[in-house]
Amino acid sequence: MKRILGVALGILTAIGGFVDIGDLVTNAVVGSRFGLSLIWVVGVGVAGICIFANMSGRVAAASGRATFEVIRERLGPRAGLANLSASFFINLMTVTAELGGIALALQLATSVHYLLLIPVAVVAVWLVIWRVKFSIMENVTGLLGLALIVFVVALFLLKPDWGSLAGQALAPAVPDEETGAAYWYFAIALFGAAMTPYEVFFFSSGAVEEGWTIKDLIQSRINVLVGFPLGGLLSVAIAACAAVVLLPAGIAVTSISQVILPVAEGAGKLGLAFVLVGLVAATFGAALETTLSSGYTLAQFFGWSWGKFRRPAQAARFHLSMIICLLIGVAVLSTGVDPVLITEYSVVFSAVALPLTYLPILIVANDPQYMGGHVNGRGVNVLAMIYLVVILAASLAAIPLMIVTGAGS
Amino acid sequence: MILGDLLGTPVFDDDGVRLGRVADARFVVDGVPPQLMADARLLGLVVSPHSWSSFLGYERNSLTQPWPLPALLRWRHSGSFLVMWADIAMIGDGSVRLRRGYTAYSPALDGDGQE
Repeated sequence: MKRILGVALGILTAIGGFVDIGDLVTNAVVGSRFGLSLIWVVGVGVAGICIFANMSGRVAAASGRATFEVIRERLGPRAGLANLSASFFINLMTVTAELGGIALALQLATSVHYLLLIPVAVVAVWLVIWRVKFSIMENVTGLLGLALIVFVVALFLLKPDWGSLAGQALAPAVPDEETGAAYWYFAIALFGAAMTPYEVFFFSSGAVEEGWTIKDLIQSRINVLVGFPLGGLLSVAIAACAAVVLLPAGIAVTSISQVILPVAEGAGKLGLAFVLVGLVAATFGAALETTLSSGYTLAQFFGWSWGKFRRPAQAARFHLSMIICLLIGVAVLSTGVDPVLITEYSVVFSAVALPLTYLPILIVANDPQYMGGHVNGRGVNVLAMIYLVVILAASLAAIPLMIVTGAGS
Repeated sequence: MILGDLLGTPVFDDDGVRLGRVADARFVVDGVPPQLMADARLLGLVVSPHSWSSFLGYERNSLTQPWPLPALLRWRHSGSFLVMWADIAMIGDGSVRLRRGYTAYSPALDGDGQE
């Protein structure tokens, strides 16, 4: 019974923890401009993150090493440092976006200007990282994040023309008023949002934090293979809500209030209350994960002791580096730059950096000296290599498309 | 000197012909352990004609997955060789010169590279 509860809890937190500010914004923007014609990318991205999160979890359980320790060992100091610089920069951008997201979500709930709420958000994030146990932190934010299911509820209450939605999804075409370049630019953004590298840094480090062994792999596999796709369905619902309400009205999403507008229309005040809770939980949970990921990547590269399972005094540099990251995030946000804009850029830059994370994981997952008998099977390798080609193509095309489309505008 | 500074240094033979760059340093752990583990002893340098990027672990012949990565990485390092420390005439500032009549060994490691 306890085991079933554990599995259920794991799945629920994986669903609730899947969506972050990147998924929220990108899916809503895409839904409001392209309908469901890009929704296949969410499927591709979710399958990809399932494969690689699972692999990184297995590497962590079999070798006791988290992802950036693996990157440092396999790539060596020089290429490893280049990798760290890129990954860390993008992660910092995501931290900033998530902090801004918390403040924007709180602004919707309180009508206080978001810049005044940023200090509240940052102190709360830091306190949780400093004091709260890893498993409690994960479970609470994950479960509250489930409130975002209201997007699914709202979609049904909006009584959309299901046939037309299915048509957009199943026979994707570039809408008349959009260009092909913009279509593919947002395809890469959606892919980057679904596969953000921090998820793998966090997932594998979390496996070490929670002391996984090979025996725990079945449960983690269920969490990933059931939880992530259901979390992906939330992303689809966000896009579908935008496609039903905002696309016909000609509103292209540029703010968080527009993201939740369809929920207010479909599910009323109660729906609004749920979506606000879900929004705060999702961005707060992701802010914790990205901030921790900054600390994890730095500490794992430089060989500092790390982890929430250690007392802060025993992992001083790990905690100090996270405080500095949070302060940098605050400094960037206090210039008044739009957090939604930071989010849009962060998901595209995530796509650029994808191969840096996923190639080393794939190589080490095939190395018997790390993995013993738990190296990748042939089927996983075939899928992973296909994804590596897709990832590489997305990574190379991202910047040129960004320039051609003027960042999708 | 720091070993990291040596990586990427151009390597020349006795006649001044450029052979490639230092891609790796090969160590062996043998001898009588002074305490817990024997000290690592520098066996020689791996010289690669095309690239001094890492072999990413594929110098071990036992690694064959995932296709086609091993083949690609080995192709990138084709023509690379291992020279023993005794065959190195001089490690200068920004260049390494080998002795006349040096022996080029295969850089591959059989099995898991443990022996």
